[in-house]
Amino acid sequence: MKKPKILLTLLTLTVLLLAACNGEKETAEPEKAQAATKDGKTEVVFWHAMNGQLEEVVDDLVADFNEQQDDITVKAVFQGTYEEAITKFNTVAGTKDAPTVMQVFEVGTKYMIDSGKIEPVQKFIDADNYDTSKWEKNITNYYNVDGVQYSMPFNSSTPVLIYNKDAFKKAGLDTEKPPATYEELKTAAKALTTGDQYGFSVLNYGWFIEELIAAQGGLFVNEDNGRAGNATEAVFNGKEGQEVFQLISDMYKDKTFYNSGQNWDDIRAAFQSGKIAMYLDSSAGVRDIVEQSPFDVGTGYLPVPEQSEWEGVVIGGASLWMANGIEDAQQQAAWEFMKYLTSPEVQATWHVNTGYFAINTDAYDQDIVKSEWEKYPQLKVTVDQLGDTKTSIATQGALIPVFPEARQKVVGAMESLYQGADPKEALDQAAKATNDALEMANRKK
Amino acid sequence: MTRKKKFLLYALLIVSSFVMFFPILYAFSISFMQGGEVLRGKIIPSGLSFTNYEAAMQKVPLLRYLFNSFVVSTLIMAGQVVFSCLAAFAFTFIPFKGRNLLFLIFISTMMIPWEATMVPNFQTIRALGWTDTYAGLSVPFFAMAFGTFLLRQQFKTIPLEMYEATQVAGVSRFQFLWKVVLPVSKTTLVTLAIYCFLNAWNMYLWPLLVTNDERMRTVQIGLKQMQSQEVSTEWGVVMAGAVLVILPTLILLFAGQKRLQEGLTRGAIK
Amino acid sequence: MIAVKDRLRAEPKSRWRFPVTLEGMLYLLPSIVLFAVFLFYPMFKTIYLSLFLTDAQGNAQIFVGLEHYSQLLSSPSFRASLKATVLFVLYTVPAGVILALGLALLANQKLKGIGFFRTLFSSTMGMSVAASSVIWLFIYNPAIGIANTIMTTLGLQEMQWLLNPDTALISVAIPTIWMNTGFSFLILLGGLHNIDASLYESGKIAGVSDFYSLRKITLPLLSPTLLFIVTVSLINSFQTFGQIDILTKGGPMESTNVIVYSIFKDAFVNFNIGSASAQAVLLFAFILIVTILQFKWSEKKVHYQ
Repeated sequence: MKKPKILLTLLTLTVLLLAACNGEKETAEPEKAQAATKDGKTEVVFWHAMNGQLEEVVDDLVADFNEQQDDITVKAVFQGTYEEAITKFNTVAGTKDAPTVMQVFEVGTKYMIDSGKIEPVQKFIDADNYDTSKWEKNITNYYNVDGVQYSMPFNSSTPVLIYNKDAFKKAGLDTEKPPATYEELKTAAKALTTGDQYGFSVLNYGWFIEELIAAQGGLFVNEDNGRAGNATEAVFNGKEGQEVFQLISDMYKDKTFYNSGQNWDDIRAAFQSGKIAMYLDSSAGVRDIVEQSPFDVGTGYLPVPEQSEWEGVVIGGASLWMANGIEDAQQQAAWEFMKYLTSPEVQATWHVNTGYFAINTDAYDQDIVKSEWEKYPQLKVTVDQLGDTKTSIATQGALIPVFPEARQKVVGAMESLYQGADPKEALDQAAKATNDALEMANRKK
Repeated sequence: MTRKKKFLLYALLIVSSFVMFFPILYAFSISFMQGGEVLRGKIIPSGLSFTNYEAAMQKVPLLRYLFNSFVVSTLIMAGQVVFSCLAAFAFTFIPFKGRNLLFLIFISTMMIPWEATMVPNFQTIRALGWTDTYAGLSVPFFAMAFGTFLLRQQFKTIPLEMYEATQVAGVSRFQFLWKVVLPVSKTTLVTLAIYCFLNAWNMYLWPLLVTNDERMRTVQIGLKQMQSQEVSTEWGVVMAGAVLVILPTLILLFAGQKRLQEGLTRGAIK
Repeated sequence: MIAVKDRLRAEPKSRWRFPVTLEGMLYLLPSIVLFAVFLFYPMFKTIYLSLFLTDAQGNAQIFVGLEHYSQLLSSPSFRASLKATVLFVLYTVPAGVILALGLALLANQKLKGIGFFRTLFSSTMGMSVAASSVIWLFIYNPAIGIANTIMTTLGLQEMQWLLNPDTALISVAIPTIWMNTGFSFLILLGGLHNIDASLYESGKIAGVSDFYSLRKITLPLLSPTLLFIVTVSLINSFQTFGQIDILTKGGPMESTNVIVYSIFKDAFVNFNIGSASAQAVLLFAFILIVTILQFKWSEKKVHYQ
């Protein structure tokens, strides 16, 4: 080998470049976004993860807002999935490329609070004396920590039981009385399982397990679901969690439960093609299912074990966050936009066109909602389920920094059930892995 | 060739091409189906309707996206081929000190997982002010160890006598590269160019990160934009989008097949 | 492997020339600069971050030394990732190359209308990962997909292709092979065309079998092209991401959680930048070893004309 002069040169070069890059970054950091566009309007950049039909609805709402007034221009930009969007937000937070309003999925709530890159919307509620009494508490509570409203709920959904009424009729079941307890669910599933058809299915997605636990009043993590302090231990492997896993395991062994994977569209295809007669879906998906299924579709509340009391559901979906470190004028403009989004008219449009809930309960009195409910009475069930939900720590939802990871562990445990794993052991393992992740996260604090 | 053998060959050709082409046909077929039809597991659509295509075109500015993808892929292809040529030439014909070590370092970059470099690179691009530009989309990929390696292998097949002869004749190295090395390496260059273009065409995460403006985005983002997360995906529309995205490359491939074959055959030295 | 034999004899020194080293560097400069900025700098940063706990923004916070590494090496999850990665490479690379070679040999026959078949065989080249994965997701759908329709038509049992930990990885490997075949086919066909036809003629006169001429003439002369295809397939295989993200998300039970996907998940979903960085470094070391072995092997086998 020759003298490693080249290597030395290369290294020096790298170091120099490294320094140059860092230097540039530092000078870029304090820059603030330009508050005003050329035409004197304040620009609000709104990053979202709404694709498919949802993006069209968002674009329409934004266009309406821009037309309604002359001071603010909102620019909605699709930034990939929730995960991709939050990664990008992370990288640009606090720089001139940062968005003014950012949509973040519900499990990112704790993460956003801890990030220090956001301004709680409570500040604007207070400054504006904004009346929040019309808000659906079961939705806004999720994003309310220690009495501070951190973000504005945007697209909110809950899980519901969806069933094939035609199959119910064929099996001799009451088409207007979906199973409300695990026992009823098991009996119904047994009756519904014939030939190619399975009785019941749940998507392999952590959200449904969390919901089934919360429906019984069970918690996900300690420290009051992470709302009294930083959670240090997972408790989803307690009595309630075991009930859920036992149910799935029993029904799977009984061949009345169908494993439909972790893809939303797959489980819907299975339902619509008659492969499964009952399953859990998001309330946001209800209308499409009703519309596209070649049979009558019914909806019902989440079932709970016979001996437990039905507590309710936790809100899912995403909320809108306000960035900090930007000009006041921009924040104010963003707040105007948020207020517009929560108005009854807009919320009614949103609910009717997407199936997501209205945060403003006045929206349900709007005519478009009423006529929609007449057409799809199944939608009303989802709204009622949320209204009947008891406000408690369990239904407020857990607040943990490592939520996505915890979900992956729960999904893994769920999948191992189909391989014949013991429900308790599978859950304990997932809880242990979550504890490790929590410990790691708490060390950083 | 005997009749029997011919028959057998055709049978094999037909079966295997059907298997290879089937998924594409399937996508075409789904792109004509309406919502419910898709989810009931049909294979043949009930009618030929172009509503999905209209919807796909309306949903995202696909033409603009296709144009961007084309520009970015071409830029990356050009950059990679040029930079690889220069580097490979130096590694083959210029006997400078530390050459072997440097080549080793070059090759080792091939193993760096791209995911590990993404976020720091994004910060660099941002610091350079290259977000929402074609430069930001393409420049980070211009240097390519694999291309350098491939071309060096090719250049090594050029007889040394040829090089020495030109040196004696007083031809500069660069002229030698331009006039002799490149023409005889046509096959490899075409191969490399196709490979680069296709890889660039397929990028998704990087274009998503470095663009905020819809006018700068590429088709792979457009495809993702059509799928939904929590509500039902309109599969017919997504497939129509997918067909629209693959159509240009397929047409290019069909039309250019003959020339591509020639390009890959001719020019190789024996 | 890399040792470049200095093939160049004495430089003619008749007139003043640009210093050789400088000239060499001039040719290499564009690549070196870009590598430094977009590969080495991030790589050093990755190595640095792998020794820390980071905050969510990916800034180093607490120095933990080699803790991430020791944790990974003892974690069953990481071992599963390693296993999945190796298996995935073993499933896709040999099968993909052999399939493409078979198709290329088939399409290299002088038959009427062969151009049409060649076009069909190379058609998957134009498919994007996103588009093809979505199509395959449909094919595999347990309820409505064509894969199960075929199974039942053949009188076989329906399968949960992507949902069974035993079959998921293979089910991801099949579309991967399919996607890569178009390109490999085209390149190998080009390689076959370049083989002097007279070699076969003399083989025919000598009366050797087709198989013999394949083994003794075709394969050795095709070896540089084959090496190229194998290398490309290896790189692609190690970097597989899109298919897994769309088809399985690393599941079920982490059976398709290949390292690259695991890195992505840790860095972008779980925000464990430190651990993701450590995995990236280990992957780097791992691929380095594989590549060295491959070059060592190919040095002996590959026949340059």
